[in-house]
Amino acid sequence: MASLKCTKCGASVEFDTGDKFVKCSYCSSQIFIDRSGAGFYYALPFAMNENDVVGVFRRWAGGSTRAKDLDKLAQISSVKKQYFPVYLFKRDVNGAEQVFVEPAGSTTLPGLHSLKVPGGDLKVFDDKFDTAGAEMIKPDIEMAPYLSKLPGTAKEQALVYFPIWKIDYVFEQKAYVVVVSATSGEVFSGEFPGRSSGAYMAVAGIGFVAFLVEGLLAIGSPVVAGVLMAATIAAVFIAANYVARRM
Amino acid sequence: MSLSVGLNCPACGGAIKVNEGEHVLNCQYCGSTLWAEGDAGVLTVAYKNMQDRDGVLRATEQWWRKGLKARDLRKKGRLLECYPIYLPFWSTVTRVAGWICGYEERTYQDRDGHSHTERIPKEEMVLNDYNYTNIACDPGDLGIKRLRNIGGEASFADFESIPTFESTTSKDDSVNGSKEKALQDARRDAGVPHVTFEKVTIIPKSISQIYYPVWVVRYSYGERMYMATVDGVTGNVLSGRAPGDPLYQSLAVTGGTSLGGLIAAAGLIVGAGSDDGTIMFGGVIVGLVILGVTYMFFRHGSEIIEGDFEDKKMKNPLKDIGIELGGLRI
Repeated sequence: MASLKCTKCGASVEFDTGDKFVKCSYCSSQIFIDRSGAGFYYALPFAMNENDVVGVFRRWAGGSTRAKDLDKLAQISSVKKQYFPVYLFKRDVNGAEQVFVEPAGSTTLPGLHSLKVPGGDLKVFDDKFDTAGAEMIKPDIEMAPYLSKLPGTAKEQALVYFPIWKIDYVFEQKAYVVVVSATSGEVFSGEFPGRSSGAYMAVAGIGFVAFLVEGLLAIGSPVVAGVLMAATIAAVFIAANYVARRM
Repeated sequence: MSLSVGLNCPACGGAIKVNEGEHVLNCQYCGSTLWAEGDAGVLTVAYKNMQDRDGVLRATEQWWRKGLKARDLRKKGRLLECYPIYLPFWSTVTRVAGWICGYEERTYQDRDGHSHTERIPKEEMVLNDYNYTNIACDPGDLGIKRLRNIGGEASFADFESIPTFESTTSKDDSVNGSKEKALQDARRDAGVPHVTFEKVTIIPKSISQIYYPVWVVRYSYGERMYMATVDGVTGNVLSGRAPGDPLYQSLAVTGGTSLGGLIAAAGLIVGAGSDDGTIMFGGVIVGLVILGVTYMFFRHGSEIIEGDFEDKKMKNPLKDIGIELGGLRI
């Protein structure tokens, strides 16, 4: 929790991240917090531990577009806990509030370019903040150049550290990386080993055509068509089950 | 520049109380009517959390049984974590007032088989208030974008004990988005198919910030970790991810190919016997649509996704085919 001195009595008054007005607990004056001229440091606490994110990674890796059994075959080579810095600007542009987010650290990691500040319990980042052993990525991009480029007038600007887990994994001798947001578990990935839809489409396509032909055949010889249809149902089901489980 | 500004009544000098979102207020000492200028913020409401841990876990277990989720989820699913959070939403009320005029065309056939088209003029008055909610932060992988339930007991009692997600999106963007949506909804509600004249005014009436309690549940299935969110007021499951079942995927594609193929065949047979080409094409198209829908479930049904997730947006079967033909794999 951050604090400021009451403008009336000089007592120390604590305030939280979202507060615009605070009340001095000593002299009960109402104090307005003007953030337009200051830069704040915020951080989001980690909401997920290492086991959680590895589990999230396995769920993601088991998804339908990922290579079959990626969740079991991917060899996780490292799991890193990091804080990534972004700038958050709130500006008054022609009377309307606009929010801009810009990176504060240079990175090649997936998902951190198309930046958003993930939702989370924003805390004031000061020497009392517990970083829980996470590596702090240094903000190597200055705030000032952004400020001169952005439209409107300043309402608030802040450096926000957001918590990520960086997972490096190897699949078929190739290295990949994913980033998992430690607030919501959202997975960001660049390239990943994929899975072909071919087998799925073959089952659906061949099945459809077979039933179409058998349907046409049913006018001339309904009994033959009926037997064929029963066989096709069994064949499609067995093929589909095989594909869904194994491919 | 000083970070904080103390607020005094300009008439009597007494300390004044002003809540976020208020412009007009009265000094509690001298009764002067005052006008507060500047960034007034928005009116903020928090709803009281009505659920407890056990109730939330029970709701999640019941949710496991519903829908086409893995049949052994009840046995293999392990509830690991469960905690409440407050999520911020912008809640807007937008009034649309005006007139939308135009006509509707109706085609009918007389006894001789001639078809006539009649124009029915329409003049609709629009006067509606539309209420929308929109999440005020990036929900990440929570799968929540708007509120299903607007109601509950307003109270800041739990506000200190439950982690609160701060709003990081602009309230004015939300107001503008609501204006566009309200206009669309007003046009739809007016129900004038061909518009010739339109004069409507869109008035943003109010915006407030709602902190809504949501429980996040994390559970494992085998080595994989899944999640669900539960409404802290009503106790309903709002969103979630769950493992699917290959049996349901196979049944879906079996049903889809057989039904779709036979409907297409029926369309061809009936269509061939009549002059009307629409029956033939109609049958084939209906068949293909059934095939497409069941194919998507067959292809992507290994994970069941409920709620407003980014990756839930209907994957396009044509894109799938295009990727396959292009030799690319995504």
